[in-house]
Amino acid sequence: MIKAEPRTILSFLHTYFEVVHDLFAIQSEDGIIRKEMLNRVCERHGSFIQAKLRDYRVVRPVGEDFEMRDAYFKMMEFLLLEFKPLLPETIEKYMMSISELFLKIRRSIAQQSDRDILQERVKNLNQQIREFVDMVEKNTWRLLNETRDLKSNIERIEYRDKVHKASFWIEYYILPLNKILDVNHADSIAQKLIEISEFANRGRLDFAEETVRSEFEKLYVQLLQTNGDLLRQSKILTNELLPLLERIRTESLILTGWIEFLRNPYKAAVPPLLKSQRGLVYAKDMLYKVREFFQQFEHPENVYLEEDDAPFDKWIFDRELYKSKLNAELPVPDFFNWCVKELGASFPEIETEKFFAMTGLIFDEEFSIEYNPEGARAGIRTTTSQLTVPLLRIEASEKIK
Amino acid sequence: MVYPKDHRHITDDLMSGKFILASHETFASLKENADFYTDFFKQSFNYELIIKSDYAYLLSKETNENFSRDVCIFIAVLSYELDRDGKNFMDALEFSEFTIEEVDRYFENTSFIDLIESNKQLRDAEGRRHLINAMTRRHIAHKNFEDRFTFTPAYKMFIDFAKELALKRMGGELQPVMN
Repeated sequence: MIKAEPRTILSFLHTYFEVVHDLFAIQSEDGIIRKEMLNRVCERHGSFIQAKLRDYRVVRPVGEDFEMRDAYFKMMEFLLLEFKPLLPETIEKYMMSISELFLKIRRSIAQQSDRDILQERVKNLNQQIREFVDMVEKNTWRLLNETRDLKSNIERIEYRDKVHKASFWIEYYILPLNKILDVNHADSIAQKLIEISEFANRGRLDFAEETVRSEFEKLYVQLLQTNGDLLRQSKILTNELLPLLERIRTESLILTGWIEFLRNPYKAAVPPLLKSQRGLVYAKDMLYKVREFFQQFEHPENVYLEEDDAPFDKWIFDRELYKSKLNAELPVPDFFNWCVKELGASFPEIETEKFFAMTGLIFDEEFSIEYNPEGARAGIRTTTSQLTVPLLRIEASEKIK
Repeated sequence: MVYPKDHRHITDDLMSGKFILASHETFASLKENADFYTDFFKQSFNYELIIKSDYAYLLSKETNENFSRDVCIFIAVLSYELDRDGKNFMDALEFSEFTIEEVDRYFENTSFIDLIESNKQLRDAEGRRHLINAMTRRHIAHKNFEDRFTFTPAYKMFIDFAKELALKRMGGELQPVMN
């Protein structure tokens, strides 16, 4: 039991706020206030303080150590806006209590049971909802601060740790909390509150007892405010916190990648960019490329050709010899065939050049030519050509006397 | 055979190692005929066509590794220095216009100076200007004036590379929570 007047306690807190603040900081950090720590804090301000702290029930013993009582701890949290982020699992417990109370309220009405307990349950439901919203607000506030700290990075933590932290906040706090507040989610508390709000609306209008109607009225007004608050919190989570954390995570991840790459850029496999090829399918400058290509082989200086002194097989047509042979065989019915026969007798193959040299005999005035009246032709094959020649009969021409 | 619209332009650009961007007129035709072009480049040249939401490019076994490495170092150092300067480097790469002078300042004062000095393309202003010109030719950067440039969406390919590298080095322990 506290003997002191409330005003005296508040006055003590006012005077020795630093002590309470220090103790709050220690408990926030370690979860408990070690005996030595309490002694050290109190020594700075006078030994009587420890007794006062116990008298005013600011702290209570836990074994040999101490802890700040919940009422004071929460007050300090509230005053300093230093809320410990709660895991959404902790907040979710309100889902159970709210659902349970709501169910019992409906049953009470259906079974027309005691009015007083119904009234108490509506009051309690109201209280639970208030606590729930309070808790969500504190959590969102704290998460927002944590995220902003992470963004400004005053503590200069490594990019890699930032990725971890951002991922941690997203995975364990933001996404589950968002699920709790998501009105589109059938099992969310937000959805349940909407259901209660509709029920309370009917209750405040329809219920016979005025005192109960009045409680439903309070609940309804409370819920109107609550649903608006939750929507705002949900918007902070989805529009601000989540993108900001996601951004910190992505940015830190990219910078981690770049730093890893810059540690030894010549050993990392880089993105494979296409190497453009020479002579493209649709090269616009193909003409210039070809011209440039051939230009490298152009030699502007004079080119001298040296005669080759090597011996070669040079055939000289012996006109007199073949003329006498032709004369001896006159008349020859097929001159070109005769040429082939004569050349064939001397050479294994008949070259076009030799054949044409031989045919030159035809222009000799000693011979007369008679064409085949039917224009018959014959084929001659040389080493390089296939010739079609007319049939010519050769006779000795008559000499002009 | 009837070829898709802008066929010649599309093949010209991709075969020259250029990126085709969503802002290019040819991008719509390329995207509409994605199956045809994927098959066309695979069958004709054994190249892989990559089409993302805002850019497209070709991949082959024979790559221009040096150029790619230089671009990676360039973007890596720039990102790091922008962040150090208190700027949102992702916003800067996406939206900002850089002056050559600003880039030179970052590169001359970076803590990665040893690395920069050992790289022919990056060690002096002249080399960096050449690299920016090469990036412009490939549509990775866009020169607004002679001394100013912005990055095109093609820079995201290099950002994805950094992200994948980080995840690989971190042992794949961090899988994206959201997409």
